[in-house]
Amino acid sequence: MRDLAKGLPTQTRVVFALALRETRTRFGQHQLGYLWGLLEPAFFIGTFWAMFAAVDRTTPMGMDIVPFLATGVIPYSLTVKTADRVSLAVDANRAMLFYPHVQPLDLVFARGLLELTTYLVVFVVILGGYALATHAFVIDDVLQIFLGLSLAAVLGVAFGTVLCALTVMNNTVQRIKGPLMRPLFWTSGLFFAAAMIPLKYREYLLWNPILHCVEIVRDGWFPQYRAVDASPGYVLMWIVLLAFAGLTLERRVRTRVQLT
Amino acid sequence: MIELHDVTKAYRTKAGEHVVLDRLSCTFEDRVSVGILGVNGAGKSTLLRILGGAEQPDAGQIVRHGRVSWPIGFAGGFNSSLSGEENCRFAARIYGADIDEVVEFARGFAEVGHYFHMPVRTYSSGMRARLAFGLSMAIDFDTYLVDEVTAVGDARFQAKCKEAFAERRERSTVIIVSHQLRTIRQYADRYALLRRGKLHFFDDIDEVARIYKAAA
Repeated sequence: MRDLAKGLPTQTRVVFALALRETRTRFGQHQLGYLWGLLEPAFFIGTFWAMFAAVDRTTPMGMDIVPFLATGVIPYSLTVKTADRVSLAVDANRAMLFYPHVQPLDLVFARGLLELTTYLVVFVVILGGYALATHAFVIDDVLQIFLGLSLAAVLGVAFGTVLCALTVMNNTVQRIKGPLMRPLFWTSGLFFAAAMIPLKYREYLLWNPILHCVEIVRDGWFPQYRAVDASPGYVLMWIVLLAFAGLTLERRVRTRVQLT
Repeated sequence: MIELHDVTKAYRTKAGEHVVLDRLSCTFEDRVSVGILGVNGAGKSTLLRILGGAEQPDAGQIVRHGRVSWPIGFAGGFNSSLSGEENCRFAARIYGADIDEVVEFARGFAEVGHYFHMPVRTYSSGMRARLAFGLSMAIDFDTYLVDEVTAVGDARFQAKCKEAFAERRERSTVIIVSHQLRTIRQYADRYALLRRGKLHFFDDIDEVARIYKAAA
């Protein structure tokens, strides 16, 4: 317990310093800087908006198109992009392990923290901006939105930890993870709401924990939408399982991380 | 003070297991600087990384009292896309030291001029080493782990390093590894020889010299 009390401030300091450094290396290189982190999801949403308009598709239950897409894209990105970036946390920051204070898990947490912060800012700017522009400022439940986004981020970190440990074992993981994660793009509710899917298919789609996160966020944003199928407990179960697997693997490969 | 209890470390190579440290138990006392000699490949750098905690042993326990540095020597631990200053700020942050003080000290010590604000990737190897050395001197450690200090800089800079160490010898301990007798002699109070996974301690440099030369 005394060790924990002594270790915790140090670890907090290290994770914070790493996250700051990561911000600098990730966004400091370009002229646009942090704006780039904002433009990427905005571009994503814009593309789908255009596609929806082109095929004349309407959103379910009269949800506004921009919030509908944003509440799908952002939680999805929070899980998938975070997992992707965390999976390379050790590979890209090997030099930092030179400092004994910095342990592989700190690199994982730092990247997770940066992703969560970035997407929270993105969420506030895109949806807040939209709400201000259209004067449609009705948010149903802010805390629930935050719950959904946090669950998505932690899920991404847990999944990323597994991928990261596997990457240390064998680098080909990086090549196969793309195709492996591709189905998540189609099943996470980016272009549909769970309620509009026939029950017999919905059951299977709901295996995907990201869909739950998306539904939770939508429920929190739209007063008219109730995500009856979404369950935070189910997402939590995935998080616990993945974290368990990830941390076990991390212990296994801990001595194998080559410093240089 | 650093205590080692049955510390074992082996690397898997194509030719089988290569044991670097073999059930090593010893104590590095406070304010007794130790010079560790070993031929290339004896595991000196591995020992330093394990002492510092950057690398985990396969078995055994290490108990550290006080603040132990990272292995100081050739510039490691720098992010090459960040500037020298940003790297110093990062190190100060993780060690909870005063950022401005660390940056000022490192800048003064490293003598890299305006390169201090440029990415470390643009540095020459000498500049990297000087910055690494300056940075490690900027943070107060109880134990300094040093890897082959002779490689850093020209004669004048080396004199400066020696002076910096002499100043710290009063309150800090230095553990230095090298394959050169000369380096060890300059910095250490006690000597040790790393051979076949074991450390053999000596108080007399001539005795180490004799055995080391016979072995090499």
